[in-house]
Amino acid sequence: MKNKLVGVIIALVVILAIFLLLVYIGGNVMGVERLMTGENPMLRFAFVIVGLLIALGVYYGTKDSPAWEVGTRQVVWMAIGAALYAVFSWLFNGTVFFVPSISQVALRPAIAIPVFFGYAFGPIVGFFSGAVGNMFGDALTGFGLYPQWSIANGLIGFIAGLPLLFKDRKKSLDSVLGAGGVLTLIALVIYFINRTLPNMMFFDVPNNVFGDAPISIFAGISLLVGFALVLIVRFAFGKDLDLAASVTWGMLGNILGIGFAALSDIWINGYSLPSAIVGEFLPAAGPNLIFIAILVPLLVVAYRAVQKQSGR
Amino acid sequence: MLVTWRYRTRKSFIQWFDPRAWMIFYACFLAGTLFFWDVRFLAVFFAIALFSLLTSGVTWREMRRPFLFIGGFIVIYTFLTFLTGRGGEEAYKVEHLINKLAAPFMIFGWRPTLTITVERSFFAVSQLARVFSIAIMTILIPYTLNPSLYGVTFRGLGFPDKIAYAMDLTMRFIPTFGRDFQLTMDAQRARGYELEKISGGIIEQVRKLGPLIVPVTIHAIIGSEDIIDAMDLRAFGVGPRTWLEELHYQRRDRVLIAAGIVLLAASLTLLMFGYGGFWVPEALLRLAGG
Repeated sequence: MKNKLVGVIIALVVILAIFLLLVYIGGNVMGVERLMTGENPMLRFAFVIVGLLIALGVYYGTKDSPAWEVGTRQVVWMAIGAALYAVFSWLFNGTVFFVPSISQVALRPAIAIPVFFGYAFGPIVGFFSGAVGNMFGDALTGFGLYPQWSIANGLIGFIAGLPLLFKDRKKSLDSVLGAGGVLTLIALVIYFINRTLPNMMFFDVPNNVFGDAPISIFAGISLLVGFALVLIVRFAFGKDLDLAASVTWGMLGNILGIGFAALSDIWINGYSLPSAIVGEFLPAAGPNLIFIAILVPLLVVAYRAVQKQSGR
Repeated sequence: MLVTWRYRTRKSFIQWFDPRAWMIFYACFLAGTLFFWDVRFLAVFFAIALFSLLTSGVTWREMRRPFLFIGGFIVIYTFLTFLTGRGGEEAYKVEHLINKLAAPFMIFGWRPTLTITVERSFFAVSQLARVFSIAIMTILIPYTLNPSLYGVTFRGLGFPDKIAYAMDLTMRFIPTFGRDFQLTMDAQRARGYELEKISGGIIEQVRKLGPLIVPVTIHAIIGSEDIIDAMDLRAFGVGPRTWLEELHYQRRDRVLIAAGIVLLAASLTLLMFGYGGFWVPEALLRLAGG
């Protein structure tokens, strides 16, 4: 198993090196415009490997933990999580059941699925639910695949499942909350310095606005609203460790996962750091966090009732 | 109860091949399409997709719904890109005006104007060719891939047993959960839940989605116990898995895989030499005064 894992890691590093070499030789040495950062389809695949290496690195460092066990239950939960995420993404993406956006905040309730599955069933189930579910969801809408965003969704579920690695979940909570608070603050500072940048995640179909409108104040501070909701859940339900931990770790997963995808667009699409944060990260991570803070506790409570009933 | 995709055995070009060979070809096709914005290159991909569609044996009646959904979605978004120019600005910097159509009326002092440029028009064509090629090839998969071969196909593509089986189950669960969602939606409607009128602030809206998402998710988890028991009873995961049906590559499968690899390699080579970026015909630019 160990040899196999090392083999996989080496293979991924080699493929990543080949990609970067192609970009370096084609883009920098030969001057091929399409291989330079800015509009580089190959870098999408490079970031897939970077995302996988991050997940494998965490696994390698803690591989003795029972959180990494994959038995029959995990296989079935992986499939259920991925299928639910794909179906909800498809249904709520406006193709069937249109959830209106409010003040430029597009709603993606499906994000609660990888977070819940990650928290309840472990990081591998969370990663699979997010990554494969997003891939199938994209395929169902027929709009092609965005592999680095699939990996980013996988990372959301993966990080939401990391509390299983900690013996004392309560201790880790405040550190995670602190880290989330600092990242939220940094994103907000970047937003307030660059308030006129467009919201690139906003598609207002009725008014023909397609990502051009400057980001609204609500979309800009939605991450703060989400963080405030997380704080409420953390401290109002502080005695219920499951509720507090699911939402807090889900918050970190959401910030780091969406942050990974948004920052990758600095290289893939040539965005500036403020454009990536204000135009992509905030309008996606903020609403996600609001959904996580409200829907994940509902799922955790409902699942607990099922566990009690079934005795499993 | 599991609901399945509308697969049936057909005499078709796609089903003539081993599903692993077709999936490899599909992956190469998909990656290759992503490299291009030039409609001349995209036309090749579109032609392959169209050929696959026309020889698939899937009738219009069978695939009408997904095609209308996805096709409508693609056309609307492409049209919006055409109207606003948004999306193409990374592909072109200068626009050559063909016509500017101003509405004869004003809305609050603003006159709606449609700016038609060569670049916007060609970007829309390229976008349609690109996205429809991907959509056609993707839509065909559930209609042409035998559900009983999902697992062995993914295993044959090199995935470990457990991941292959998880992928197999994912594909099988998608139509089932789609049906469950519809049933839940109908049940909630019968209780007076007004899905079409989800209103209020953002937190209120999120809360109102709970009665849809929570029952479908929890029902799926409860249902999973039966599947887990069935798999455990058959000693799933105890040793290397065997599959009821075996797949063997034929010569035609190797040819298809080679064709996919050649397609991807050719795309990559063209990309390396700077081809495939957004293109508009010179003649059109001259016509537009460029």
